Amino acid sequence: MSKKTGSFQENIRGTFIKYSLVPVAVIVTVALFLFVFSWIVFMAHFNEQENQSIVSEITRTMNICNEMMSDVADSLVDNDFEVKDSEIFAVLYKRTADFGEMGNLIILSSDHKTLFSSKNSVPRFLTGRESYDWGIWHQIYKNKNSVNTILYNKNLYVTYGLYEGSNLKVAVVYAIPGEAITSNISAQARYVIITDENGWVYASNTKKLQNEYGKVEQIFTERSGYIRYDGNIYYANRNNTDKGLVVYTINDISRSVHLIYVLIAIIVVIFGAIALVTIRSTKVSSEKYTKDIRRIEDAFEEVQNGNLDAKLDINSSTEFTIIADDFNDMLQGLKDQIQQNKELAEHAAFSQVKQLESQFNPHFLFNTLDNIRFMAKIDAAAADKMIVSLSGLLRYSIREMREEVTVKEDLENLQYYLNILQIRFNKRFAYSIDVTEDIMEYLIPKLLIQPLLENAVKYGFNGQEKLSVNVRGYQMKENLIFVCEDDGAGIEEDMLREIQENLKKEDNATAHYGLYNIHRRIRLMYKGDYGLDISSKKNEGTVVRLTIPKH
Amino acid sequence: MKKKVGAILVIAALLLSGICFFVISKSNKDIETSQTLVVVSPHPKEFMIPLIQEFESETGIRTTIISSGTSNAIESIENGEDVDALWGGSILSVGPYKDYFYPYVSLNRAIYKEKYKKVDDEFTCFSDVPSILIVNEDIIGDTIIEGYEDLLKPELKGEIAFADPAKSSSSFEHLVNMLYAMGDGNADDGWEYVGKLIDQLDGKLLTSSSEVYTGVANGKYKVGLTFEEAAVTMLKNDKHIRIVYMEEGVVTTPDGIYINKNTDKLTEAERFVDFMTSKNTQVYMASELGRRSVRKDVEPSSLVIADDEIHTISVKKDRVVNSKSLWTDRFSAMYGEKNHE
Repeated sequence: MSKKTGSFQENIRGTFIKYSLVPVAVIVTVALFLFVFSWIVFMAHFNEQENQSIVSEITRTMNICNEMMSDVADSLVDNDFEVKDSEIFAVLYKRTADFGEMGNLIILSSDHKTLFSSKNSVPRFLTGRESYDWGIWHQIYKNKNSVNTILYNKNLYVTYGLYEGSNLKVAVVYAIPGEAITSNISAQARYVIITDENGWVYASNTKKLQNEYGKVEQIFTERSGYIRYDGNIYYANRNNTDKGLVVYTINDISRSVHLIYVLIAIIVVIFGAIALVTIRSTKVSSEKYTKDIRRIEDAFEEVQNGNLDAKLDINSSTEFTIIADDFNDMLQGLKDQIQQNKELAEHAAFSQVKQLESQFNPHFLFNTLDNIRFMAKIDAAAADKMIVSLSGLLRYSIREMREEVTVKEDLENLQYYLNILQIRFNKRFAYSIDVTEDIMEYLIPKLLIQPLLENAVKYGFNGQEKLSVNVRGYQMKENLIFVCEDDGAGIEEDMLREIQENLKKEDNATAHYGLYNIHRRIRLMYKGDYGLDISSKKNEGTVVRLTIPKH
Repeated sequence: MKKKVGAILVIAALLLSGICFFVISKSNKDIETSQTLVVVSPHPKEFMIPLIQEFESETGIRTTIISSGTSNAIESIENGEDVDALWGGSILSVGPYKDYFYPYVSLNRAIYKEKYKKVDDEFTCFSDVPSILIVNEDIIGDTIIEGYEDLLKPELKGEIAFADPAKSSSSFEHLVNMLYAMGDGNADDGWEYVGKLIDQLDGKLLTSSSEVYTGVANGKYKVGLTFEEAAVTMLKNDKHIRIVYMEEGVVTTPDGIYINKNTDKLTEAERFVDFMTSKNTQVYMASELGRRSVRKDVEPSSLVIADDEIHTISVKKDRVVNSKSLWTDRFSAMYGEKNHE
């Protein structure tokens, strides 16, 4: 997974958004879809239903007319094409009782003369000249012995030409009363248009959707369903009756569609607002709820950076309060532990330092005591001085309880040692102490310089008569530097390397106590890059250099 | 997790819209894709409707009518619009545009009256249309109108309905008629009268012929220059108008039916021409619609006076056809001059 791990707050916020916004979006979308979908289905269904009902109503009416025509024809045939008014009227009334209006039944002779008219009026186009082959007459001539429906002059006619052989005997024409067909379309909620097969409008409850010639707009004859026409959207159904009439039921759904658009727009806006508010509020609330987590995180970070005094103070919820208290307890425990460890370490270091301090070279003591015995025989005064110096030195070494002394004090006590050396080697040994006055009051480990001189004497007299040692002390930046230089025999190369290697170790593996001990003490007492380094050249001398922090 | 939810959402949305689309597309069905015959015509719609109705029921060919002035109709054919036939427009007006039309000779032409047989092969004559004056009887008062000369009476200034000859075929017929009638057979001598008539129009020049006859029938104008059949239609609609055949002479020019050369429904268009020139149609047209038939076997219309009662004058057809744009331009120029256009 390449997805990066988000913070706890981001995750909480993401969860808030996901489980509040997404379900709402889904529900609203689904609801909207269902609403639109069911609206569409119902609208289409009712439209189709109504269309069917009008079609069946028209079919019923037309069937009545057709039956009546057959009855009239039967009557005429029975009477050898002689018109008996009473019989005709009887048929007419019987069949058209439902229509409310009787309608005009006309019987015409083959030469276009009126034989019968139920309303005593005959349209002129039926009784024109004999040769007239147009409109209704054309239908009568064209369709022999069959009932036909024709829309002519905005009226609906049923025609029936009675032929004997190919000779027209009589023609029956019935003008269907408009009301019989149109009564069930005017009260409709949608547009209803009834046309003939060619789209000429017979009846409609609207002036719309038909052109100036009285034809239904072409697009509705070509298609049904959803139709965009003249800037409006319609849902149109179209069904043919078997009598040559076509019923269009058309819903103008532009408004509804607009309404749906508006609805969608409103919902989108509301949803957008909700989303905005949610995103904002989740930011705030997630911050609030994860505040404690953040504080815990901060506390841990502080601890990591070394601040063990960090403290968590949380009362917001029991869980976090417990965590905070535990954290505090744990930290306190940790602190105690560290303190203890520190004390133990200090203790160990101290005792080690003490041990190191106490390691006076026993050879020095033997030599000095031998010298004193010898001196006591030849020079009592010198012997006395050596004893005083030795006792001063031992007192300083043992009785001085402080770890650190001033440079001045250490130098004063060094004099005891120098006195002893002076008496012991007499003119063979020369020294000079050159320590700047400005470092006199700084603190250094006690008996710091003495091992240097001891070292110089130890290696310097190796096979040579005289030795001069120069001790310098000065400050350099934040450090105090002590350099002990001699012009002695120098240290053998192998041994020098051994000493240098030894200085790096935690434990002394050689018999070279003096230099190792002083280095080790400095290392224990002062953390850092302090200590001793040594260089030496055969027959030229040795240089030992001490570096300790100024304090 | 988020991806999963998103995927479910997308799938749900697709599913829903799919269902919706299915339902909608299921309900959208093409009932008939057969194309209809498109006929552009300057005839009055009351004249066209019964003829088209009968044509459709007889032949089963669906027809779409577009009402348009003759020059606009020719323009739409020029522009390659989907028009199959031009129905109407006098052969004088359409003559200059011969190349746009398909030369079709209807079988019915054999029974035509002699003078319509002689017309160019390209054109099938449909009816004869005399130019006439239409007078609103209710508002004309005592003014006697018997011909072009009477239109110059001062009380008729601004009361005359006349359409731009450049736009209306019937107006162009009238322009030709007055040029020949007032110029005593010499068209060039008639322009003086035209100038006077333009003065009488008082700046009112209509844009289509239908504005002329409906304008007079509705009382907006007292008198109009139009064609006979329009006036008959107004009469049939119980409008109180009267037809005046100009005493100076009436030019009768046949109008025709023209098939667009680029039609893709040539068979249907030919049937249309055959139907419109058939006996039944011409009989109905003459007896019910007041049109003068071009056929020998059709009785004269009882709605209009007989041909021989009208003082007809003849024109040089070729000259008229060749001069059409010249004359309409000259008229426009004269009109523009007088009305400071």
